Amino acid sequence: MSETAALPSHATPWRRRLPLLPALIFTIVLTQVPFLMSLFYSLTNWRINPPTPREFIGVENYTGLLDNQQFVDAAWVSVKMTASSVLLALLFGTLLALLLDRKFLGQGLIRTLIITPFLIMPVVAGLIWSNQMFSSSFGVLNWLVEQAGFGPTEFVSRYPLASIVTVLVWQWTPFMMLIMLAGLQSQPSDVLEAARVDGATSWGIFRQLTLPHLRRYMELGMLLGTIYLIQVFDHILVMTGGGPGSTNLPFFVYRRSIGGGWLFGLASAFSIVVVVASIVIATFALRVLSNLLEGEEAA
Amino acid sequence: MSSEVVGVGERRWVNGLLGLAAWFVGALYFFPIFWMIANSFKEEAVANADPTLSFSPTLDRYRDVTGETVGLLGFSEAFGNSIRVVLASTVIVLVLAIPAAYALSIYPIKKWRDVLFFFISTKFLPLVASILPIWILARELDLLNTQRVLVILYTAMNLPLAVWMLRSFFQEVPKELVEAAEIDGASLFGQLRSVILPIAGPGIAATALLCVIFAWNEYFFAVQLNAADAQTVPIWVTGNVSTRGNFIAKLSAASVLASLPVVIAGWVAQKRMIRGLAMGAIK
Amino acid sequence: MASVTYEQATRFYSGTERPAVDSLDLDIVDGELLVLVGPSGSGKSTALRMLAGLEPLDGGDIMIGDRNVSAVRPRDRDIAMVFQNYALYPQMTVAENMGFALKQQKVPKDQRREKVLEAAKILDLEPYLDRKPKNLSGGQRQRVAMGRAIVRDPAVFLMDEPLSNLDAKLRVQTRTQLAELQQRLGVTTVYVTHDQVEAMTMGHRVAVLKDGILQQCDTPGTLYHSPANRFVAGFIGSPAMNVLDVDNDGAPRLAGVEVRLADGGVEPATVEAVGFRPEAATLADGAPLRGRIRTVEDLGSEVFVHVQIATGDATSEQVDVVVKMPPPFAGQPDDTVGVQLTGELHTFDAEGTRTATTSAQFVA
Repeated sequence: MSETAALPSHATPWRRRLPLLPALIFTIVLTQVPFLMSLFYSLTNWRINPPTPREFIGVENYTGLLDNQQFVDAAWVSVKMTASSVLLALLFGTLLALLLDRKFLGQGLIRTLIITPFLIMPVVAGLIWSNQMFSSSFGVLNWLVEQAGFGPTEFVSRYPLASIVTVLVWQWTPFMMLIMLAGLQSQPSDVLEAARVDGATSWGIFRQLTLPHLRRYMELGMLLGTIYLIQVFDHILVMTGGGPGSTNLPFFVYRRSIGGGWLFGLASAFSIVVVVASIVIATFALRVLSNLLEGEEAA
Repeated sequence: MSSEVVGVGERRWVNGLLGLAAWFVGALYFFPIFWMIANSFKEEAVANADPTLSFSPTLDRYRDVTGETVGLLGFSEAFGNSIRVVLASTVIVLVLAIPAAYALSIYPIKKWRDVLFFFISTKFLPLVASILPIWILARELDLLNTQRVLVILYTAMNLPLAVWMLRSFFQEVPKELVEAAEIDGASLFGQLRSVILPIAGPGIAATALLCVIFAWNEYFFAVQLNAADAQTVPIWVTGNVSTRGNFIAKLSAASVLASLPVVIAGWVAQKRMIRGLAMGAIK
Repeated sequence: MASVTYEQATRFYSGTERPAVDSLDLDIVDGELLVLVGPSGSGKSTALRMLAGLEPLDGGDIMIGDRNVSAVRPRDRDIAMVFQNYALYPQMTVAENMGFALKQQKVPKDQRREKVLEAAKILDLEPYLDRKPKNLSGGQRQRVAMGRAIVRDPAVFLMDEPLSNLDAKLRVQTRTQLAELQQRLGVTTVYVTHDQVEAMTMGHRVAVLKDGILQQCDTPGTLYHSPANRFVAGFIGSPAMNVLDVDNDGAPRLAGVEVRLADGGVEPATVEAVGFRPEAATLADGAPLRGRIRTVEDLGSEVFVHVQIATGDATSEQVDVVVKMPPPFAGQPDDTVGVQLTGELHTFDAEGTRTATTSAQFVA
């Protein structure tokens, strides 16, 4: 793609920018205005319960933030939850893609079945698993566990974070699978044939050609997966309500603001920290994106 | 394509075995959803007992959830609200994102990379963390309990993804065709209509489908910003969870209904969605 | 080094009526460069891929040396292949590309390096050994593809239109180098192309295919002077041979003019078509076959004149012939000229098979 195609003589740079503006302005307004408002509130001691007049207190909300053990815990949970679900989904997605990347009877049907979890609502997925799979009363997994001779286990209470991660991985593996399938199928067939003629075994082809080729797709999967899995909320709400070790940062902030705490000033400070952290992560992730874009141009 | 028929000299049965394994894995993967569907046809007493597959199916649960009003909200209102909100926000997303993608791909502005990065970076901000200012703004602008506030938020939520995916699809349009249209005097709108949209049509459909999926399934903002009137399907579904009495069968029926539109759309447009997801960013 | 034999080799694609390759019989001698040539859809690439093991055989056998390799995996056939789009491994450097096959055979690193350097020297690739394919020009990539093949020292080289993606000048240059290389290495080579000039200049023998069926396999000279049928006659040689249907009332006639054959051992009444090359005819004022000059192609060293023969018959199609004239040529488009034969004329029967080659004259 050329950096700037030749402009017709009557066009100005602004003519090029114009189509972009509506989307750009819309996004800027809707992301920056709340941010600025949060910033403002975070410098006050505003709370609703008990109702307190909003007074400016400077950075008082920020000092001692890192001493707030629950905040640190929530940050840690965010890291664990996001990292494990992204990586596990990517792993299983890749394995599924490898399994499905061949002609067999009913291939389309199986693929259709597998992508369905991605399409259903997060709240529905959370409810199915907590009530019908994990439940110690009548859950299917429990029934299997009892058949194997163990006692009834309330999975969600005993392993809150793992239960949530299980559902997340179940829902996002199909997404990763689709990306990896696209990667597998985009390998130029003559290169694979050349490798077969050159003496490579199937495993050799996979290790030396396919995996390097898939790297970009894995990076894309991780990028997109992280974007969405960092913001998990619905599952936590319907499965554990934030129970032990399953509150991530978004849920933490929510609980302290309009989700029960009504500590508007303090919660805003938390949310600013979260925003700053996301910018740091985003910068790092965007370096990955720029590699992807460069690969696209050289192709 | 690496999924070829069995090559010369390769063992035929390996492929067959893997096909079988795929069937097994696929069935297992789908099982929770299958179980939910099964439960939706059971009596409450049957569903809230030890798991079983022998039962006499009934449509009563479906009648229950579509008939009664759960909380403040009936089945048809919830579906109506959702359809309106999702359609409106998806249309607006396309209206905003198509010109933006044009400006980032066909006649790209100089700083297209930075702009693209900006759009993607907004997706890293957990919107949940901004719920307070958004809630306050909505209240000040008298938008609480309206469909409009959800339309605005869903548009903001899907716009970056749409811009990213559409940009990649537009890049596959051969430059010469656009230049030919330009020489023929077509403005941006004309170029879009005669050249770009026909060729990138499938890509636009895939993008729209993803926006619909994410908007339809969205729960957090719907529940925070709409105490009463404009509730959407996700809220309607969770309304079936009650603390008194058994609810699994009813919840399953409601869940099936709630998931049906998006699942069917996803099934039908599967191939396009596959292209859209991956090819949306990597050619 | 080995011979290659196709014995009744057949390949069907499901959903099509006629086979892609139909009972192909071909005996390729050890050390020979055999060219498979034909228009697209002729089955030449398929035949090559069957030899490579990339397409299965639906009938017949393929032998390399004395081994029947019909059911053998590509990697066990001891062959090396150059693909049309080069098929270089995109994530590897030139050196790694060329050393790939040796690595699969577990050849130790230093030996690998040595062999790669050897091949790189032959092909002038030394400055590029650490580059990746995306940073190479088309010509360089082509040489890497060649290098990848020659490093292996296989029994057979397979080449699938290796030059067609090069620009014209580079193609001619590389053609000669390739032919020299093959002579030097002496490895049996099966070479596919759609360009008959390439076929004629490179091959020890050339096999012409059409619709999956072998038309003729001979040395270039024999193909040129003794084509087996109309198709080969019209396919080989540039500009193409003039192959014309004739009316026959006991003697063959072209636009009313009799084509009088010298005694060539063929019954004049059986002649359905005749063929003569542009250099086997000339333009003369008094010549009986009249026509109008359409275009004059002056190539400097020779002039090709396209003449539209006046058939005088409203229902019959246009008849165009090309005649080669020595420069300088004074004729202009729309001039009226006469065509006379000076060289060989081929006769063809109703099935298109060549029946005789003899001298002949147009007689009014």
